Amino acid sequence: MKIDLYDKKRLGIYVHVPFCISKCAYCDFNSFVPKSELIMADYVDAVVSHMEDYREAGKGYVADSVYFGGGTPTALPQRELKKLLSAVGKNFDVSKKAEFSVEVNPGTADLSLFKMMRRCGVNRISMGLQSADNRELAALSRCHTRQEFAESFRLARQAGFDNISVDLMFGIPGQTVESMLKSLAFVMRMEPEHISLYNLKIEPGTPFYENREELKAVLPSEEVEFEMYRAAIEAMEKRGYMQYEISNFARFGYRCLHNLKYWNCEEYLGFGVSAHSYFNSNRFAFIDSVDRYIAAVKDKNSPVRITKESEAVEARERMGEYIMLRFRLTDGIGSVDFARRFGVSFESLYGRKIEKYVKDGFIEKREGTYALTPAGMFVSNYILSDILEFEDLGAVTGNIT
Amino acid sequence: MSEDRKKKIRNFSIIAHIDHGKSTLADRILEFSDTVAKRDMEEQLLDDMDLERERGITIKARAVRIDYNAPDGENYIFNMIDTPGHVDFNYEVSRSLNACEGALLVVDATQGIEAQTLANAYLAADAGLELVPVVNKMDLPSADLDRVRNEIEDVIGIPAEGCPAVSAKTGLNIADVMQAIIDQIPSPGGDEDAPLKCLIFDSVYNSYLGVVVYIRVVDGTLREGDLIRLMSTGAEFETVEVGVMEPFGLKRTGALYAGEVGYLTASIKNVADTRVGDTVTHAERPAAEPLPGFKHVQSMVFAGIYPADGSKYNETKDALEKLRLNDAAFTFEPETSIALGFGFRCGFLGLLHMEIIEERLEREFNLDLITTAPSVIYRIKKKNGETVFIDNPTNYPSPDEIEEAAEPVVKASLITPAEFVGGIMDLCQDRRGVFVDMKYLDTERVELHYRLPLNEIIYDFFDALKSRSKGYASLDYELDGYEPSSLVKMDFLLNGEQVDALTFIVHSEKAYPRARKIAEKLKDNIPRQLFEVPIQAAIGSKVIARETVKALRKDVLAKCYGGDITRKKKLLEKQKEGKKKMRQLGSVSISPEAFMAVLKLGDE
Repeated sequence: MKIDLYDKKRLGIYVHVPFCISKCAYCDFNSFVPKSELIMADYVDAVVSHMEDYREAGKGYVADSVYFGGGTPTALPQRELKKLLSAVGKNFDVSKKAEFSVEVNPGTADLSLFKMMRRCGVNRISMGLQSADNRELAALSRCHTRQEFAESFRLARQAGFDNISVDLMFGIPGQTVESMLKSLAFVMRMEPEHISLYNLKIEPGTPFYENREELKAVLPSEEVEFEMYRAAIEAMEKRGYMQYEISNFARFGYRCLHNLKYWNCEEYLGFGVSAHSYFNSNRFAFIDSVDRYIAAVKDKNSPVRITKESEAVEARERMGEYIMLRFRLTDGIGSVDFARRFGVSFESLYGRKIEKYVKDGFIEKREGTYALTPAGMFVSNYILSDILEFEDLGAVTGNIT
Repeated sequence: MSEDRKKKIRNFSIIAHIDHGKSTLADRILEFSDTVAKRDMEEQLLDDMDLERERGITIKARAVRIDYNAPDGENYIFNMIDTPGHVDFNYEVSRSLNACEGALLVVDATQGIEAQTLANAYLAADAGLELVPVVNKMDLPSADLDRVRNEIEDVIGIPAEGCPAVSAKTGLNIADVMQAIIDQIPSPGGDEDAPLKCLIFDSVYNSYLGVVVYIRVVDGTLREGDLIRLMSTGAEFETVEVGVMEPFGLKRTGALYAGEVGYLTASIKNVADTRVGDTVTHAERPAAEPLPGFKHVQSMVFAGIYPADGSKYNETKDALEKLRLNDAAFTFEPETSIALGFGFRCGFLGLLHMEIIEERLEREFNLDLITTAPSVIYRIKKKNGETVFIDNPTNYPSPDEIEEAAEPVVKASLITPAEFVGGIMDLCQDRRGVFVDMKYLDTERVELHYRLPLNEIIYDFFDALKSRSKGYASLDYELDGYEPSSLVKMDFLLNGEQVDALTFIVHSEKAYPRARKIAEKLKDNIPRQLFEVPIQAAIGSKVIARETVKALRKDVLAKCYGGDITRKKKLLEKQKEGKKKMRQLGSVSISPEAFMAVLKLGDE
């Protein structure tokens, strides 16, 4: 029993660090190589001050997950990272049992850094490997090798981290089913607790997008990608990494609590540029520009608007979100849970629409739950855009600003 | 009306190839005569549809009366009749020309004579008109007056030395045009005491007056209250209003005399009752003979028009009816397609006419439409002795019933800079054209004559011609009967189900390449579904081309990074928006674009 959670609502806290040592050619996240350490220090101060602003709002909540993402949080100078990590506990009631994750890029952390993070309460490391094939890493313009990853992993273990997640990618230029499975086998031999397997997507605004025509020749076909995905799921299950979400696999007891908050429609507050929040039935996100963010936090009278979008989520839309997000999970949607949340049965609203997907093997129905099969997960947008109504997506009320 | 007054009348048209400045010249003439004050001047006043102004073409004929106080102190009446400038409307042009004694032949000083310059000049000569050449666009640096004058003399055979050289755009030398009209175009003849003969050269529907009929009085006198008869049908009406056309409206005069151009109204409800080219006479003292040259215009090109949103059927029907009120050459009747639902089979004079109707429906009535591939009328002699005309490929009889199939052919004239002759001959060859002859208009330009099947012309021919001649070649054609041909009906099947809206008729030799191309195009335009969709092109039960729309195996698996749920919702919303537009055909969803894509295949 988590006694300390009894009276208070739970909250996830996300902190975005937009700095990297180098920018990868496929990456469309808000991250860049900083010009100087000065801007990093200013940014950290702004985020800390921003958390202080939310201190009042956070009363009555206990944070049971904290997640530092990027960019590369470990690209910050050690003392700045330490300042930022400590600020969470100073401003919010963080549960002693909270999951506290930090994303680490191989080669950006030494033993002392890992130890510092441990001392600050960090108990989970998420490492971006993407591929264990050095040629594929070069194709992605990643700034590390497979050997550097192995070294970082060893250091994290040495520092005492017993919950490590590794990110892998499939659909990399030049990748084959075999090479992908080899990367996976390499990772599984290191015995992390958690593996994320993402599909490379060519996003506008990236060098990959600029060269998309030339890339076509070396990118795996859809059929090959599907085979990669299918084979990876199979290989991981054999080794005890059970799929629990479209891209996420974990050994028993190691599902990522923070990410589960997103998919379970629970509340979270995000700090830093481009950080998203879902708080008091509102979804909102902060602006992308570091300079403007710093200015807006420092000066409360600044004309710079710190939020770039916000939307109040109405009841019907909440239901749409729930379906959209829960279908990412292998647990899927439970009839009883759905009825309890929304006071209406899932079958009466969507039963007829999902019938054909059940019949064709894209949705599995078992004991009062509906979940996407691997084939269904692969085409989840197609299925979701079919079964969800515009009202479910908030289009009718038009309240996306 | 005195003979003296008649001597002051000039009835004339302006004829030209598209874009040579016909309507702009008309504007300048109106302005020069002070008929329209400069401040009221809208560009191309006579083209009063937006579409006409935009495309720079005249779709409907129009006439205006101009009072001109000439430098010699005399007052003249000019009746200027603006004619449609496209091959689709040749018959209308010929009737408008018959209402005149002369025509201004406008030629672009930078382009010289084009296919429609020639075609229109021949029409005018056939109508016995005095041709007054006018060289336009003299303001452009590349204007070459001498070359164009020589070309007019050599090719058309009329004197052009000293003809007006103007810029309708800047107003340069418009006075010369006015003087040429007075000096060179004869005043009308006709006997105002003879039995009434009026030529109908256009009619428009007006919701207050009924049909307003534009006429040229050839003989006799027409007064308000007269009982008139339309000679082709024998229908009789009592004249309500008689008058003349001024730039901003109609002006009642109570009577029109031989030699004049004007309008009449007679509570006529339907423009189809007042066919262009028909003769109006008095019911009590009819003319012995109608004016020559009347014919029923017939639609040459047919296509299905369907509302993209099936629930807009009635709105589409209302819109078609409104367009038909003013366009007797446009026909439609309801038809049903399995693929597209309820819609209409529409008949047009030609491709341009079809495009214009489509565009007006979409613009003026705000309709989203799906148009099927255009078809011509095939003449089929069946084995049972019956002859049928087929305008809808779906109704094409099965091969074992057919004794002989025939398709319409045209006499085509193409004018092109000499450097493109090879490419154009290849194109005509490829489109089953039969070479007739070729002559040099001057050292650089060539006129080619071909006999071509009409169904090859309606299929992407213009675009191909333009792309092979960098836009310089021009085309004119007229229908020239039917010829037996080896035709086959090609069907398309999606997921094993025939899509009637995609069926078309094609020459057997072209069936294979076209089937392959359309199948490919369909493949690219049918969104992928969760299952494989085979596309088959078939003649009868024989499949001649096959493609497959692969099953969608994957869409984006992007992680909901950092809890950005809004982005994900927007993505799904966009996807849903796209799905809403799809047509459901059995289990396959097809976007409207897929139907349209097969219409335009581009030049091979």
